[in-house]
Amino acid sequence: MKQSETVFLIDDEPALLKALGRLLKAEGFIVEAFESALAFLNAPRHAGSGCIVLDQSMPEMSGMELQQRLVQEDSALAVIFITGNGDIPMSVRAIKAGAVDFLTKPVKDSELLAVIRMALKKSKEMLHSKAEFNEWKQRHAALSKREKEVLVSVAKGLPNKQIAKELGVVEQTIKVHRGRVMSKMGVDSLAQLVIMAERLRLK
Amino acid sequence: MQLTHRGGSARGKGASQQVNWVTIIWTMTAAAALTLAGVHGFVWLRQKRQMASLMFCLMAASTAGMAGCELWMMNLADMQSYAHALQWYNLMRWLVTLALVGFIHFYLGSGRPWLELTVCGLRTLSLLLNFIFSPMVYYSSINELVHIPFLGTQVTIVEGIPSPLSIVGQLSLLLLAAYLVDATWRSSLRRDKPGALRVGLSAVFFVLALSIQMMFALWGIIDMPIVASLFFTGIIVVMGIELSEDMLRAARLADELRIRESELREERKLTDAIFESAPGMLYLQSATGKMVRWNSQHERVTGFSNSETSQMRAEDFCVEAEREILKEARSIALAKGGNEVEFDLARQDGQMARHFFRMVPVDIGGEPHLVGIGIDVTSQRALAAETEKQREQMAHIARVASVSELSSSLAHEINQPLAIILSNAQAAQRLMAHEQPDLNELREILEDIVTADIRAADVIKRLRSILRQGKPVLESISPPTLFDQALGMAQSDLKEAGVEVTRRHSKKLPTLQADRIPIEQVLLNLIKNACEAMQDNGSREKLLSLSCVNEGTWLRFSVRDNGHGLHGNNQEIFQAFHTTKPNGLGLGLTICQTIIRAHGGNLWCDRNKSHGATFHFQLPIVPENL
Repeated sequence: MKQSETVFLIDDEPALLKALGRLLKAEGFIVEAFESALAFLNAPRHAGSGCIVLDQSMPEMSGMELQQRLVQEDSALAVIFITGNGDIPMSVRAIKAGAVDFLTKPVKDSELLAVIRMALKKSKEMLHSKAEFNEWKQRHAALSKREKEVLVSVAKGLPNKQIAKELGVVEQTIKVHRGRVMSKMGVDSLAQLVIMAERLRLK
Repeated sequence: MQLTHRGGSARGKGASQQVNWVTIIWTMTAAAALTLAGVHGFVWLRQKRQMASLMFCLMAASTAGMAGCELWMMNLADMQSYAHALQWYNLMRWLVTLALVGFIHFYLGSGRPWLELTVCGLRTLSLLLNFIFSPMVYYSSINELVHIPFLGTQVTIVEGIPSPLSIVGQLSLLLLAAYLVDATWRSSLRRDKPGALRVGLSAVFFVLALSIQMMFALWGIIDMPIVASLFFTGIIVVMGIELSEDMLRAARLADELRIRESELREERKLTDAIFESAPGMLYLQSATGKMVRWNSQHERVTGFSNSETSQMRAEDFCVEAEREILKEARSIALAKGGNEVEFDLARQDGQMARHFFRMVPVDIGGEPHLVGIGIDVTSQRALAAETEKQREQMAHIARVASVSELSSSLAHEINQPLAIILSNAQAAQRLMAHEQPDLNELREILEDIVTADIRAADVIKRLRSILRQGKPVLESISPPTLFDQALGMAQSDLKEAGVEVTRRHSKKLPTLQADRIPIEQVLLNLIKNACEAMQDNGSREKLLSLSCVNEGTWLRFSVRDNGHGLHGNNQEIFQAFHTTKPNGLGLGLTICQTIIRAHGGNLWCDRNKSHGATFHFQLPIVPENL
């Protein structure tokens, strides 16, 4: 089966870079190999989903440092660490920072491929939720001032009567605002609205 | 025979009845002499060994006798009685002479025995002649007894032609004077009697004066009665004074002696206290090891009672195997003024206790002795053994730690080629599954697998040689290859840390005779330390420079970094468990130093002027033809 997803390989050992590249190409991945983290950063950024198979111990910039840079950039690329002599504290730190897995050399192909697939899936999800988030942000921006106030109060779980009292209007008005907010934000239920408010940090 | 009154008016018997100067002087002389005789006789009775006092007593008593006889003779009127009295008088003279010789003999102790015998012999001969040639030996013919005035009274003297035999008496007097001069001279040379000169010279003076007076009187040059007792009294007085001074001196000495004795008693008390206060056994023994004095600790420690100890020798307290050691230590102590020795003390109950002994020679009663102290060091020795054991354990831990550190870095080294091999092989497997496998690609894969495999094998070979057991094997090593090897092993660390390495050494360096692996380990360790020291350099470039310099008899290797420098002083850095690393054991440099020292070299470090530190080690250059 042919796959068209991209895998980035970053390792300071050229022979290993070559071997892993062969393996992944044989599986139909698009492989981009870099001999250092800086070389990767200097290359044009990939916009779509994808994953990085990253060597932890490298000169100049370590794998962990690169991962931090990517987190800062809010990148959708999923990171898999691969290391010669990793220890538990190191792997815990990597996973906490969002790495998909922390593998030890030498890695079996089946294991590596499974992790890569998982990572690609995660990358797609990240890309999707990023897009959804941006959509929500735009919709929220389109709300009127009063609608935004009503949205915050509804998300807090206050009843209409109390919201009306706080905003100094009649309950009926609130009901109208609420219906408009739901339709403008494109949600069907109160639960969906609350989750959205949470993601947008509207409290 | 007629009694003739000569010169002046004779006052006859009536005058002799009066108290006159002659009677007073001679009576007092006799009384004084008797008193002195009594005093010194008493002294002699108390102290029988004081023969000088006895002689003095005899001399004084016979001088008193002489004085009596002289006074008697001066008052006699008939020849018969005179001769009789003269015999008594001669007996007294004989006694006086003998006692004088005896006194000098005992008091000065310097008379020549043959002179003493001659003087006594002559005087005895004179006495015997006097008895044989009665009534008088002094005169060959006696004219008459005459009365002459003397000290305001009339006294009797003899007038006659002196006999040649009287020369014996004169000779004995002169010989006595000679004897006295000789004894005085010899005694004053010895300087042991402060009064010798006074006694001797005054005796000589009085004897010579007497001799002259006697001659004059005998030959009728002057008319004088016999007054020898006065001269002898003079001698007695001088001698008496001297003896009294001797007695005073003796009393003073006795006082001093008492003081010294009490001082000695206190000194003894003090030494007793010192003996008892010693922290261990304190003893005094003869040069042959006989026990002379010891403290109560000795009894407590050895278990032998004091009476048993007094019969024992020092080596009896020593276990048999170490007796010769003790004997040797003793002779060295005697020869060199002190020594120390340690041996197992054999207690009476058969147990042993390690003791440390220190001894110092001391002369007691002219004999060499040893005074010493013995301290139980059993616990110290046990502690030292324990410390040694712990040190060995630490060394073992250090070895294990260095091996485990090594193996973890080697695991990394091996994992890398293994990962390459695995990935390549699995890539090949997947390529083979394709319908038309790319054979060129497969060939390349196989080549890469071979290369990676060789790399793994090298790593394993190195690991095996590092873990190799047994004696160090010296081999010829060229210094640049040492750098190559060490840098090869440190490659991943250097790369990871981003260190720039410079090497500096002349092309023609002598080869080293050393055990390759440990020396490589030392270099590796120093390189790794340098990398760690430069970890926090920040924007400052990380520079490591290695150099090797030929210093003639040494090759000096230096590893220089520009990191954070040294913490702690130079001694501390090489001490075990000194570490500045958060997870370090602090053994690396200690092990390095041990390795370099085992090769006869040195390892040290310097602070750089700007940043960081430089570690140096020297290894001796051994000529290859050796």
